[in-house]
Amino acid sequence: MTGRAFSRAFSKPYYFREIITQMDAVGVGSLMIITLTGGFTGGILALNTAPTLKTFGATGVTGQLVMTSLVREMAPVLASLMTAGRVGSAIAAELGSMVVSEQVDAMRALGTDPIKKLVWPRLLALLLMTPALTLVADIVGAFGGYLVATSLMHISSTVYISSAKNALTYNDIVGGLVKPMVFGVIIAIVSCRAGLRTYGGTVGVGRSTTQAVVLSDILILAADFFIQKFLQVFA
Amino acid sequence: MMERSNSAIEFQNVTMAYDERVILDDVSFVVNPGETKIVMGGSGTGKSTILKLVLGLIKPQEGRILVDGDDTVTFSEHDMSQVRQKIGMVFQDGALFDSLTVYENVGYRLFEQGMPEPEIDEAVRRMLRFVNLEHTFDMMPSELSGGMRRRVGIARALIGNPKLILFDEPTAGLDPITARTILELAMKLRDLEGVSSIFVTHRLEDIKLLSSSYATINEDGEVEFKGEDNRFCLVNTKFIMLKEGKIIFSGTDEELSLSDHPYVRDFFREF
Repeated sequence: MTGRAFSRAFSKPYYFREIITQMDAVGVGSLMIITLTGGFTGGILALNTAPTLKTFGATGVTGQLVMTSLVREMAPVLASLMTAGRVGSAIAAELGSMVVSEQVDAMRALGTDPIKKLVWPRLLALLLMTPALTLVADIVGAFGGYLVATSLMHISSTVYISSAKNALTYNDIVGGLVKPMVFGVIIAIVSCRAGLRTYGGTVGVGRSTTQAVVLSDILILAADFFIQKFLQVFA
Repeated sequence: MMERSNSAIEFQNVTMAYDERVILDDVSFVVNPGETKIVMGGSGTGKSTILKLVLGLIKPQEGRILVDGDDTVTFSEHDMSQVRQKIGMVFQDGALFDSLTVYENVGYRLFEQGMPEPEIDEAVRRMLRFVNLEHTFDMMPSELSGGMRRRVGIARALIGNPKLILFDEPTAGLDPITARTILELAMKLRDLEGVSSIFVTHRLEDIKLLSSSYATINEDGEVEFKGEDNRFCLVNTKFIMLKEGKIIFSGTDEELSLSDHPYVRDFFREF
């Protein structure tokens, strides 16, 4: 499906309107939950790491630990899991409903390729918007960690910022953005496939929605492991 | 070289099965240009499958399907999209796109072809006038009644002047007045526009009206519906009846009334 979607993307009609609509639904629509996810994740990381580091007299590196965990792992994975829950389920439910109400058949009968019209815009939107949402989670998470570290853990603002700034390498940032691109493709393909293979009426729509979210989540976590290993070996 | 068929649609020994379940078993029939073929039979006998096969939405295991002379069984999805430009399909519940307005639904095919919007606007209004729903232009499908959705579905199927229309039980579950309106639209297409069609139904009222009435233009230029009489006999409407995936009857309404097949007699007991 991924290959078919990409191969048909470069011929007319281009469906720019659908692409923009999907980018808006994925990106702008998910902004609130990603902001909350990022903010609280950064805060929790600071809350958990600072007391442990204190026992070693190393609270000065709290910023480093928070930022590394956040950018490498927590923000890409959690932002993608939240996107799978919110967007993946919506895609599977929408396409599933279109299948059971014969709208996809009607689309084909009217000469439209459903892969191009329905799958490609969602795939492209998730491919581009998941890294963007991860970046938002990174920024808000860093701010959340800073707030907790300085206000609740009484770590000096200068120490925290300096430690956080020195923590990140180029590879961390690149890896932190490559991962959500892969996760975005996983969410799009799994959800579109589940939706377009729906059968059995409204019960089938529910089944497809659950399948889309569960399978996306598992594949995201599995892909995260392999990408991380790949980055450690080759980066 | 194989001779090119002059028929609008031709099924040659078509067999279609889902897993082990045979839906159509060695089915052959012809729809001639300008003819309406009424496909009858109980639920699950393969009536809607015939329409999906014509559109190439599914492929048969065996046999040939000729649409306007082309054997479409071996066609790719891309080739099939060219064939589908000649076909209009009216789905059972309309199958309108929920997220689009009536205007966008009816004009969908033209938008896809890249036609300028003023021309689409004009064509959509003309089609909506044909189905008496011009006032629904800006409405969403959720605002329409069941009958209105079917009529918008007919308008969508007719846009672009397809040579062939497929009706999938368009009157099922509708009140008698709305059902009659839809049947009259089908008769207008058959008798005034010369459109070939396959009309899938198991409603006796549909069968009776389509086989005994016709549309004509009166002296004032208005469309009028008249019944068959001694002077006029409909020859552009024929029937096939399916039972367990096989055609058990094929012919005119007169031949149908004379059939001694037990299933046909049972089907028309109340006719």
